[in-house]
Amino acid sequence: MHGAENHRTEAAYEPLLQFEMEMGAFLSDWNHCDQLSSFMARMISHNRTDPVRHSNFFSSALNELLEVSFRGGSPDGRIGCAVYRRGPTERVELTFPCPPGQRQFYGEAVAKTRDGDAHARYLDSIATDLAPSREAVLLDLSINFDADVRLGESDPPSITLVVDLPLEGVVR
Amino acid sequence: MNTTALAVPFKAEFDPNSQEFALSGVVRPRSADEIAAIISMLKGAIEEVRGVLYINVKRLVQMNNTAYHAFARVLLDSCRTRSDIRFVVVTSSVVGWTERMFAHLNRIEPQVTVEVYDSKFYPGQSFVENTSFIPILRTQTKMTWRHERAILPRHGLRPGMAMADICCGIGDFAMLARKEFQPARIVALDHSKASLAYARDVASGFGVTDIEYTYGDASEMLLEDNQFDFVTCRHSLQIFNQPDMLLKELFRICKPGGRVYITNEKNSHCLGEPRSQSIQWTYNEVARLFSHFEMDVELGPKSKRYLVDAGFDDILVESFMVTNLDGDPQDFADIIAAWENVYAGEMAVKRGDPPEFIERFRQGFRDHIFAALHPKGYAGWPIWAASGRKPL
Ligand SMILES: C[S@@+](CC[C@H](N)C(=O)[O-])C[C@H]1O[C@@H](n2cnc3c(N)ncnc32)[C@H](O)[C@@H]1O
Repeated sequence: MHGAENHRTEAAYEPLLQFEMEMGAFLSDWNHCDQLSSFMARMISHNRTDPVRHSNFFSSALNELLEVSFRGGSPDGRIGCAVYRRGPTERVELTFPCPPGQRQFYGEAVAKTRDGDAHARYLDSIATDLAPSREAVLLDLSINFDADVRLGESDPPSITLVVDLPLEGVVR
Repeated sequence: MNTTALAVPFKAEFDPNSQEFALSGVVRPRSADEIAAIISMLKGAIEEVRGVLYINVKRLVQMNNTAYHAFARVLLDSCRTRSDIRFVVVTSSVVGWTERMFAHLNRIEPQVTVEVYDSKFYPGQSFVENTSFIPILRTQTKMTWRHERAILPRHGLRPGMAMADICCGIGDFAMLARKEFQPARIVALDHSKASLAYARDVASGFGVTDIEYTYGDASEMLLEDNQFDFVTCRHSLQIFNQPDMLLKELFRICKPGGRVYITNEKNSHCLGEPRSQSIQWTYNEVARLFSHFEMDVELGPKSKRYLVDAGFDDILVESFMVTNLDGDPQDFADIIAAWENVYAGEMAVKRGDPPEFIERFRQGFRDHIFAALHPKGYAGWPIWAASGRKPL
């Protein structure tokens, strides 16, 4: 799995589920985002306090990430997605190939989720943008799902997004 | 892959009478063009209404950012051009992210406000959802189970089924059913966070991890269609003010060929000897008290009608009497004491009843307890168990 070196240092995250597929196959149908996020959400939520609602929240967040990779990914290579758990938090590691030069773009988008003015930026995007940018999507995750978003290690031209979702605490 | 063959997973409706635009289901378009029809329906609605437009997203199960931005765009632009209307987005506490996401619109335009419909949505909710009902539920199921464990197989419950207990209360029925009938899956749903917390506690105390306790509104569930072989809903159609709405949902989540099983009371038929008249008077008053809060605790004998109207076939109805002779009479007395506490001690007080009334009301419960514990006494509580099959 890509990004394996990344979580070795945080051994307390236990692996729950992962998938890998050809990026070209993934990109062949937009509905893959919905189908994969719904399926994975249901699988990993069954032993959460409120499985139905946990699954609904998780699917929302994962779908946005998959949509980011769908819109920004390039067809050569493989897409991989792994879900880990530690206590109340699920970690999603999503690795996908994208055109060269995108790394910096994602780096900046991720950094903005940690900015002091993330909230203002997010409101501004709702108020003005016709369609959500990838940056707005990551802001949505951090603001509406209390997610912590980072870039993980990956070999170019792949990108790994590491997103920690403390949903067990959010779904009360 | 042919995506046009897939059924559209969402629905939009505009009702000009209630000035309500309702959006439900899963809305995850690739671009806003794919939802152009519902966007223009929303624009049309905005043109038509006066004063307030309600935007009902109670059953919006999923909405991606693309769809959200497209909707936000229409609402926010309308705020700028139409200072004469307000938008009330009606969300549910069950789908928590909708509340969060739509609340941002209010920060941008105060003309848009967000209401959580299920924070106060049926008249009896405050009594039923706080902890006062817990002792009632605990004592009741202990007694009803003796009967129902034999009744349930007659209504089609078999081991290995996928089952759901909707309006599960403190979850004791789910625990008992799980043990006795070993379902392949069991979901237990209620809208009382206090009862669910209690239920989860009991389950984890027994090391039970496979009951899926879930918070939800039984009249607007997130559960998907056609999921369960056997759906139970006990003593709850009589508590919610729109029992037909609950049945519609029970029908929806039940598999074709599966069955929905309901139990309900006719409280005015509770009885006891000796002191039958005082007992009778009090239970007639119980029925009236509940109807004051729009709850129909006389629903039991109407079960068949409700099941037929909801579209079920092969309907079975039976009744049974929980009595002081079923086991330890003290168990029966404990139920009545729990009723007295909540019905006389809380509900009658809330209705504003005078102390003389409350005293007489209490007396009937005490007489029922007296009858239950009397060596020659008899005390009964009748219940109707009914089920119907969802046609194939
Ligand atoms: C009288 S109790 C019965 C509980 C349980 N079935 C039993 O027999 O012990 C009624 C239950 O219905 C629940 N309830 C009523 N209306 C509801 C709704 N719309 N959605 C979910 N739960 C509801 C209440 O929270 C309460 O726990």
